[in-house]
Amino acid sequence: MRKSPLRLVIDTATDYLYVGLFAGASPKEEHHRRGKRDHSVHLMKKVEAVCSAGGITPDELDGIVVGVGPGSYTGVRIGVTVAKVLAWTLGKPLYTVSSLALMASGTEGLVLSCVDARRGNAFLGLYEVGPTKMEVVEEDRHTDLEAFIKGLPTNPRVMTEGRPDLHRLEAGGFLDKAENIHAVAPNYLRRTKAERQKDSQT
Amino acid sequence: MKVLAIETSCDETSASVNIDGKRILSNIVHSQIDLHQAFGGVVPEIASREHIKRITVIIEKALEEAATAKEEIDLVTVTKGPGLIGSLLVGVNAAKAFAFARGIPVVGVHHLAGHIYANSIDHELRFPLLALIVSGGHTELVIMQDHYRFEKIGETADDAIGEAYDKVARVLSLGYPGGPVIDRLARKGNPTYPMPRITPPTKYGFSYSGLKSHMINLIHKLNNRKETIRPEDMAASFQKAAVAHLIDQSVRAFRDHDAKMFVVAGGVAANSHLRERVEEAFQDVPYIMPAFEYCTDNAAMIGVAGYHRYRLFGEEEGMAMNGHSRLDLT
Ligand SMILES: [Zn+2]
Repeated sequence: MRKSPLRLVIDTATDYLYVGLFAGASPKEEHHRRGKRDHSVHLMKKVEAVCSAGGITPDELDGIVVGVGPGSYTGVRIGVTVAKVLAWTLGKPLYTVSSLALMASGTEGLVLSCVDARRGNAFLGLYEVGPTKMEVVEEDRHTDLEAFIKGLPTNPRVMTEGRPDLHRLEAGGFLDKAENIHAVAPNYLRRTKAERQKDSQT
Repeated sequence: MKVLAIETSCDETSASVNIDGKRILSNIVHSQIDLHQAFGGVVPEIASREHIKRITVIIEKALEEAATAKEEIDLVTVTKGPGLIGSLLVGVNAAKAFAFARGIPVVGVHHLAGHIYANSIDHELRFPLLALIVSGGHTELVIMQDHYRFEKIGETADDAIGEAYDKVARVLSLGYPGGPVIDRLARKGNPTYPMPRITPPTKYGFSYSGLKSHMINLIHKLNNRKETIRPEDMAASFQKAAVAHLIDQSVRAFRDHDAKMFVVAGGVAANSHLRERVEEAFQDVPYIMPAFEYCTDNAAMIGVAGYHRYRLFGEEEGMAMNGHSRLDLT
């Protein structure tokens, strides 16, 4: 029998830091913690911890999965930087996934994943999550949270953090294998404030 | 020992490979200056976004140019501060991830330690050593009694010298960054405009706000009187006064501390007038100024400093290392 592939799953797009070591689509070791802008201190310690708890060395990993946002710009960059450098250094495949889809995948029903983006706005995405798979209802976007919820026919389950279900994410086709690891970058969904201001001036 | 170094504290993404903190095998620097020029200064979020886009490509190039495989690297060193926090975090996390993947130690380096150690790339440092640190964010005098023992004896009470250059360049509509444009222009002019003599705020300290205000007022006054301004003479006058202050304070500190060597560190170390004045003022004692390529931000200097740090103190923080926008030089 073939051994199921070992993958490291990382998401740091919100205040919730998630690191998991998966065999196939089943978690072997998981770590999550709610932090305050301190993912940079904890992420690699947790990566080290789940690998050693799982009894593996980094080169035994078969791939890295990373949430690429949208979410906190600095937060998501920490996860994506680590995932990119790990995958590139180890010469292993890198899979990217929406951090909002990742957050939704752990629960069932009509799920609204959202990350606060200040002034009533949020990065949000609406997903229908079933027992074995999930699909997008409304694409990830940056928008007014209250107005968006008002426009929905039924009340969704609102998620602001959560652990991933790799079965559902894979069955729903949410994992994208990166063709070129160098080119992987966060999905910010918004240009920088400086660029937006410059555009509005001209 | 083969060292991989990473520097992302501001708007340069850089990686370098050296042997034993001595032989630089590669030093790749990707500058983002074109991206930030349109905004008249570095935009932190744009800088961070660029760093993460480039980081693995730049490391790969550094290894390639050094003809070194990832497996041959024994130590990773990285700038952990001070600097733009979003930018620093890309480098720090990249360094930790590389070190973890390869099972090797990682060491964090103070950015200014890097600038000082840029001087040890082609020379042997001698102690006690006096370092003049001059850049867009710093104007400081540091005494080193030995490797990696830093004691700050003076710093600017207000603006860094690079800030003053940027401001004066803006008032004269010369563009950004101000240092190189003023230096270039000053070479075509003469210091004909009267400048105030700067009073040091402390024994070995610096002050640039007075000179900066003097320049702004002078330019306004001349404009109001509809007198033509000779920008090259203006640049030469400002540069002469700004550099004289650096030299005066450095000479005083050097004498008082019985230093054995004088080094200049930081982006402003590339300034041609400063280099000439250092050669004159320190002609009787050993001094070093970094080669031009090692004046501005680069990973080579971080690799050299990191090698010495590791040699003296070992790994220290390892995977718990963080980036710091403010950080004391220790
Ligand atoms: Zn610098």
